[in-house]
Amino acid sequence: MRRPSYIEKYLPILFPLPAVIFIALLMIFPILYTLGLSFTNWNLTSGMPMSFVGLRNFGRVFAEPRFLDAVWRTLSFTFLAVFVEAVLGTVIALILNRTFIGKSLTKLLLLLPLVATPVAVGIVFNLFYDPTIGLANWALSSLGLPQGLWVSDANSVLVSLVIVDVWQWTPMITLIVLAGLAGLSEEPFEAARVDGATQWQVLRYVTIPMVMPTILTAVILRLIDALKTFDIIFAMTGGGPGYASETLNIMGFKYSFEYFRMGQASVILIALFFFVLLCSLGIMKLRSTSES
Amino acid sequence: MKKMLTSTVILLSSLCLTTGAFAQTKEIRVLLANHPYGELLKTVIPEFEKQSGIKVNFESLQESQLTTKLTTEFATKSSSVDVFMTRPLQEGKMFNKNGWYEPLAKYDFSDYPKPVMSVASAGSTPYLVPLVTEWQVLYYRKDLFQAAGIAVPKTLVELEEAAKKLNSDAVAGIASRGKGAAAVTQLSSYVYNYGGLYLDKGVAVFDQPAAIDAIRYYGKLLGTYGPKGVTSMSWENIMPLFQAGKVAMWTDASVFYGQVVDPAKTQIPAANVGIADLPAGPKAQSPFIVTSWGIAVANQSKNKEAALKFLDWASSKDLAVKGMLANITMARSSVWKDPKVLEAVNPGLVSTRALAAEKGNAFDRPYMSAVGEARDQIGELIIESINSKGESAKLPEMAKAKAARVNELLKDAGEYGQP
Amino acid sequence: MKKNILHETLFYLVVIFISLMVLFPFLWMLSSSFKTQTDIIAWPPKLIFTPTLQNYEKVFGEQDFLKYFINSTVVGGLAVGLSLVLGLPAAYSISRFTQRKLALFILLARLMPGISFLMPWYIIFSRLNLMDTYVALVLSHMLIALPIVVWIMSSYFNSIPVELEESAMVDGATRQYAFWAIILPMSGPGIITSVTLSFIFSWNNFMFSQVLSMEKTRTLPIAVYNFVSYAEVDWGGVMAAAVAIMAPAIILTMIFQKFVVKGLTMGAVKG
Repeated sequence: MRRPSYIEKYLPILFPLPAVIFIALLMIFPILYTLGLSFTNWNLTSGMPMSFVGLRNFGRVFAEPRFLDAVWRTLSFTFLAVFVEAVLGTVIALILNRTFIGKSLTKLLLLLPLVATPVAVGIVFNLFYDPTIGLANWALSSLGLPQGLWVSDANSVLVSLVIVDVWQWTPMITLIVLAGLAGLSEEPFEAARVDGATQWQVLRYVTIPMVMPTILTAVILRLIDALKTFDIIFAMTGGGPGYASETLNIMGFKYSFEYFRMGQASVILIALFFFVLLCSLGIMKLRSTSES
Repeated sequence: MKKMLTSTVILLSSLCLTTGAFAQTKEIRVLLANHPYGELLKTVIPEFEKQSGIKVNFESLQESQLTTKLTTEFATKSSSVDVFMTRPLQEGKMFNKNGWYEPLAKYDFSDYPKPVMSVASAGSTPYLVPLVTEWQVLYYRKDLFQAAGIAVPKTLVELEEAAKKLNSDAVAGIASRGKGAAAVTQLSSYVYNYGGLYLDKGVAVFDQPAAIDAIRYYGKLLGTYGPKGVTSMSWENIMPLFQAGKVAMWTDASVFYGQVVDPAKTQIPAANVGIADLPAGPKAQSPFIVTSWGIAVANQSKNKEAALKFLDWASSKDLAVKGMLANITMARSSVWKDPKVLEAVNPGLVSTRALAAEKGNAFDRPYMSAVGEARDQIGELIIESINSKGESAKLPEMAKAKAARVNELLKDAGEYGQP
Repeated sequence: MKKNILHETLFYLVVIFISLMVLFPFLWMLSSSFKTQTDIIAWPPKLIFTPTLQNYEKVFGEQDFLKYFINSTVVGGLAVGLSLVLGLPAAYSISRFTQRKLALFILLARLMPGISFLMPWYIIFSRLNLMDTYVALVLSHMLIALPIVVWIMSSYFNSIPVELEESAMVDGATRQYAFWAIILPMSGPGIITSVTLSFIFSWNNFMFSQVLSMEKTRTLPIAVYNFVSYAEVDWGGVMAAAVAIMAPAIILTMIFQKFVVKGLTMGAVKG
């Protein structure tokens, strides 16, 4: 082999460099700006000059019951949605994991919700959920079932939003898991069958563990986006009724552009960032253990 | 790789060139709201461009996006906006405090009634020109009233009786906004009619008995006779219900009248839709009559002369007449005295405005800088009251806490105790 | 045999059920977009109605939909294209030199809540006089597209055997040449996947466009709200606009469907 040239030697640095510089350039100012604001009392409604207040914003926001509620709500929305999507997505993938007539058409259908513009989805589902003239209650009542209040009630709003999220994102998990299943090697299955394992045992002890890393990859992608869900909630409930669907991202938006408390809004956004970071690192860890 | 980078740089810089390079001397940027008057302005802007030689780059946005955008641009002190439509009660005080409005010392405000001007200025110098007003009314279904054999309610007691009679499984007796913060404006007239106020001389007083009674009444009315899920309803949810014939009465702003009688949008024949004054309460009959939209010049504008010219034109009497003919209820008083104009305007609007203009209140929400947060606080009371059908024992206690919080906001903003 | 037929029928019923669940909101949106305002709010919902084109006339006539469409296409196209230029070498490097920290750094761009970018970016772009140009939007959308490209492509490169470029390098080619001449030509499916997905995310982005676009550069998701005005919601218009916005993305997906499923999954499996 010839001696590597100068460029080749530094390829591991040169290749990613433009991307790294780009991301750094676009992110460094926003990060510093948000971090900086979180230490100031900047509040447009007060008309006061901006001044440094140390950690006071953090103290105030973290002590606020509404913030703690929002944290809890963000986490429950996310875990509920992602859990249902992971389970449902995997189950559907297992069902579809065979050859059948119309398989590629089905796969195409599954891609569609991913494509749907969230803002539009939100507006459309809002009309769908209307307790009086919405299609959802009409369907329930024509089946003779009791009608629901959907996003209009504090108790059902989160679940109703989860349903929309599940509709939109379960198909992605299905598609990823389907491919994961297609990529599995045959040997372990044969070995299991030779050992006389039942179908259920094969599923439980062979298929699921083997496809687990794939499922977890899909879960990471979903988790990051679910924690930051904004468009759908904003278009459908704006965080209501009351604060019943106010997640951290919605609260951050309201603090920024409805309350104009820029300092405290920054604290909320920083908190959200750390939740996203921690959750993704957690799942990544889980994935590397399940891989080994 | 290098090639890729250079081509990127070239591409980017060529993109930059497309802007700014050909900037003319007389060019202004105008932000309009998605509002019928904004639509009207859009259609006549070419005329303005022709007569003034000023090029107008306009952009129209949904109201909350407009606020987001204006705030981002002004707060970062890097705006290029010259003229913009603005909501005096929602953002006026805050924008003015931050110095985002250009003072309008030279504008002739003689055509605007005094209460209207109270939200257009701080002290003596006005900073925005009122464009559109709206007031609270009662929409009702004439056919259902006839069938039930009841008259149009004149008092809140009669309103409740009517709601009770009209309420059925298929049709809700009455609707009004119940969605927390959004409901605050609609509750306001009820509070006034009960003799209460949100703020009195810069102090939160919605925890006083009169206001509490009004909140209880509102909660009982909507909780008992309102449509399902009313605590998440704003006008955009109620209007389709009314248009679909699912609601017998609806109290909200006058601005919706055009749409509830438009045959293209509603299933109820226009002849069956009535409009009436909001019924009187135990203490008063004082519906809100507010300046919902105004127009202002940005303090940061670099083309103030052209901007002021546009402002004069956009708020001119000629255009106000045009607005009235399109059933937009304008703020100028003179257009409401012009018999020719009034002929074209719906008589229901003329009569309900007469009462509101005489006895109404110029505010439909706490008039303060931190109005967004204050509305959420009062909104919590509304939801509590509706959920308990007005019975909640916690209400006075809650109201006290919320009022204290609003007072805190007033203090933070240096507005506490300021009339 | 009987049991088998039962089994099969059950299987297809499940498939049909799943497909219907997925399709249902689309069908409803599509049918509503051909309804008049009064038919949309009708109760019970009207399954049979006289279709009208008035909503689409509004979308394409009164609203400057074509302009927004062009804007969205240009912004999405440039953002995705430039993301490929920056992202492919980075993804290659992450894959071949197992730069996990680097991958995490690039993922950071996806972890930050979008709201925290709005004001700072506005400051930067307006000071640079880039507002109402495509530059501001393209750069912001690149931050959405780049992590997707890197994430998918680094997994994709993992699936291409290292031996391929090593043998070329033994023959005297440089690594960058091998990347350019051997690896990239093999990466079609992966690239198409990342292009489609990142284009869709850019196409649907609401938050960045809301603040960084002005009239000349306004994109489609913002235009949906043109049908929601002060005191009026034009439901038919919203539905028609929603259909019109989704149609191009759906068509794009249909064309590249095979690649997308393959690439999406390839990345995930090996990732």
